[in-house]
Amino acid sequence: MRLRLVLAAIVFTLTANASPAADLPPADRTVETVVDDAIDAAIASAGVTPAPQTDDATVIRRLTLDLVGRIPTAGEVDAYVKSTDPRKRANLVDHLIASPGFTRHQASQFEVMLSPDIERRGSGAIREYMTAALKDNKPWDRIFRELMLPDESDPKQKGAADFLRPRVTDADKLTNDVSVAFFGVNVSCAQCHDHPLVKDWTQDHFYGMKAFLARTYDAGGTLAERGFGIVRFKPNKGAEKAARMMFLTGTKVEDSTAREMTKEEQKKEKDEAEAAKKTKKAPPKPAFSARAKLVDVSLEKGNSDFFARSIVNRMWHRFFGAGLVNPLDQMHSENPPTHPDLLAWLARDTAGHGYDLRRLIRGIVMSKTYSRGSRYPTEALPDARLFAVSRLKPLTPQQLATSLKLAAADPAGFDGKKPDEFEKLMEQYESSARGFASLIAQPTENFQIGVGEALLFSNGDRIMKEFLTDGGGSLLARLKATKDPKEAAGFLVKVVYGRPPTDDETSALVAYVQKRSDRPAEAYRQLLWALVTGPEFRFNY
Amino acid sequence: MPSKHFCGSPDHAVSRRAFLGSTAALAAAAAADMTGLDVLSSPALAGELKKGRKRVILLWLAGGASQLETWDPKPGAITGGPFRAIKTDVPGFQISELMPQMAKRMKTTCVIRGLNTRNGDHGSGAKLMMRGRRDEANLRYPDLGAVVAREMGRADSKVPDYVTFYTQTEGRSMAPGDAGFLGARFGPMELTTNNTPEFIRKLDTITDLDHRERADLRDLLGKQFAKGRQSDTMNSQNEAYERVRGIMASEKLFDVTQESQKVRDRYGPTQFAQQCLIARRLVEAGVPFVRVARAWWDSHGQNFETHQEMVPELDHVMATLIDDLGERGLLDDVMILTLAEFGRTPAINASLGRDHFASAWSMTMSGGGAKGGAVYGKTDPKGNTVVAEEVDAGSLFATIYSSLGINPNKNYYVGSRPIPLVNPGVEAIAALAK
Repeated sequence: MRLRLVLAAIVFTLTANASPAADLPPADRTVETVVDDAIDAAIASAGVTPAPQTDDATVIRRLTLDLVGRIPTAGEVDAYVKSTDPRKRANLVDHLIASPGFTRHQASQFEVMLSPDIERRGSGAIREYMTAALKDNKPWDRIFRELMLPDESDPKQKGAADFLRPRVTDADKLTNDVSVAFFGVNVSCAQCHDHPLVKDWTQDHFYGMKAFLARTYDAGGTLAERGFGIVRFKPNKGAEKAARMMFLTGTKVEDSTAREMTKEEQKKEKDEAEAAKKTKKAPPKPAFSARAKLVDVSLEKGNSDFFARSIVNRMWHRFFGAGLVNPLDQMHSENPPTHPDLLAWLARDTAGHGYDLRRLIRGIVMSKTYSRGSRYPTEALPDARLFAVSRLKPLTPQQLATSLKLAAADPAGFDGKKPDEFEKLMEQYESSARGFASLIAQPTENFQIGVGEALLFSNGDRIMKEFLTDGGGSLLARLKATKDPKEAAGFLVKVVYGRPPTDDETSALVAYVQKRSDRPAEAYRQLLWALVTGPEFRFNY
Repeated sequence: MPSKHFCGSPDHAVSRRAFLGSTAALAAAAAADMTGLDVLSSPALAGELKKGRKRVILLWLAGGASQLETWDPKPGAITGGPFRAIKTDVPGFQISELMPQMAKRMKTTCVIRGLNTRNGDHGSGAKLMMRGRRDEANLRYPDLGAVVAREMGRADSKVPDYVTFYTQTEGRSMAPGDAGFLGARFGPMELTTNNTPEFIRKLDTITDLDHRERADLRDLLGKQFAKGRQSDTMNSQNEAYERVRGIMASEKLFDVTQESQKVRDRYGPTQFAQQCLIARRLVEAGVPFVRVARAWWDSHGQNFETHQEMVPELDHVMATLIDDLGERGLLDDVMILTLAEFGRTPAINASLGRDHFASAWSMTMSGGGAKGGAVYGKTDPKGNTVVAEEVDAGSLFATIYSSLGINPNKNYYVGSRPIPLVNPGVEAIAALAK
């Protein structure tokens, strides 16, 4: 095993740089086949046996959580497991991606991606904007353009301005946040000095990016941009200098507007801001917009790799629990991808298909790599970078809270609903879970679940009142009618975990209930508690 | 995934296990150690820990107490204000007359008089003085409490690692405890509305037996699920649930009525005094870090009345805490800090107030490895500038860490990036090494 790990490391080192475009797999192949070939090839050269494909019940749970942000109902699991249609997975994926739950859940994920700091997440306007954008399947480059150049007079784009707005008071932070969110690059180290470890990033890069963004300001509630401006910085060596607009690739922009504003221009800006405050309309756009230039330059052929690779890496991370490059904001030459050719192909494919996010997501979740099991028979796991075993992904606060609501409901309530009624019901469950979701921590890199969450679940009044009730329509109310503890235990496991119980589980659960024959309702409530607080519920596995 | 920055040597793992000395939570504990560092990576540090696990009580003087009315009086100067300076048990060293009890105990305490922290804003000043440095754009540093919890807490601890009391509302939202990149495992248990933590007591609707046995059932289900699966996050969840019963059992630690009336009277009747008594109970039981915030020192007006009222309380409570810990043989292991977001201007404004001032102020460290009786730093006769032995937030934190026996240059890892406890090049004050 140890030798295999060493060999795997060598493979990684040798393939650190992507092959020339001509050597990549052909452009007309599907995402899922290219993913599987690349991942399988690396697993094979490492001499590792991957985890087997997971079962149908797990596939539908994984897909439903990942695509629409909730666990499947018992009925959905049953129908999927029983189906003999060879296209059932593709049909399920297409159905989920087309459902309103998909746009809502992915919008939440994008909201966190764009504003990892909860303080900068604002009022939820970005989420609303993203929901509408994903509903129309707007391409990622169009979304990028609208977030960076929001037209606040268009009500459909109103929320888009909430990306820039909380950041414009701090141009350094704005520079880094834009670089991280769209290009997968954290340039903050290069603010004070050329990056000590990464030769890619110099102060010229940081201030070159800042020069595109520093002219943006808040004109009394609306975003505006100056037509002139100059960013100066003091390099580590030598005298203070003016930064030239420069993209991360080193592409520089000729700029005749790089100068201080005159007194008159400053006064004009002030007057315009005053007027904007009154009319609530943005001041006129400058003849030359540095911010628009950044968007254009970053999407130009030759420069667009950062943009394309970053979105691919982030989508990969969303569905596999780790990126092809980790951390997600460290995409540079000293931190190569685990599968360079795969990342290069996916980036080219995504750009070539108009940054169609649904296409990329569909390809990822249709791959065999995605549906690999999360269990591995031996204690020595293959190197995680091989994607030979699926990772456990902690549920997001909203996934967890919505799923809790669903697990605690009588599944009969979902039966026989028309598709649009069912969707509406799911949305209601999601909304009713939002309050509780705000008490749960958002997963981050190296996420740890703290004792605060365990105490909340163990002793919080809300858990009992909002979730583990035995009121009408609840799972616990349904169990009151069940006489046989074994049948009840089986039913509980089926509804909450989407699978039949093991023999060990059945005997433990039944024994628990039998010991409490004077208070069966309480006993069932406690079984449900034990099931939903267990890792099998807390994670997407 | 093997990290190229962490040797991952099994020897270290073994020593950590031996050190933790418990059985049940071990695998989980070692695996949850996901920042990839090891308390015992340095043999010298291991020796240090054997002597006694250090703990910290931070008295957070929210809003910014005046150094001139506490640790660095300037009697007679135009900026000095009405209060006199008095002699202390450290020859040649005087403090404000508002602190007569501490004046008799300065041999236990190290005063840093030359703080220049360059940030006079409540919010970012509080962040700076809880972390010793500014957050990076995309990297949130853990605060002092989280680092001490991380370094001194036990993975299988039955008590909380980091408790913070902040009852008054002024400034509370500006100075939350925050584990930054260390994550929720080392985040604070925050007490704001009363002195008992939220969710520490079981609901009346469930019996104790059922509460315990349903947790056992959860554990059984969790173990089945964990077969053949590995995840640091999953381990952290199991570990969190394993700690619930222990933390619940620590509820009494938060109950001052468990102390004799004599002890309670000794601390005094104020909320701050009672919370400091709880802090003593907590550190005694092994809680690594407790912050007790006392607000609101922000005396832009009526500075002298404010300090005349608040400093004697601080003086009395701090002196009592030092005596009490000393009598219990804990003073070598427990460090008491007084710290705030900044100090106050020597200049007295038109409302007889003092404003925010971060360029020449003071803090103290008592017990727990601090060099008692030491006075470090000197300000000019009016208190406007530091004239000798200037200290910034970084070197202050390096000094606190090394006094506690924590190597300030040790690394945490975020992904593969090494993050030292203090920024590279920042050193502890050599003169304050014991």
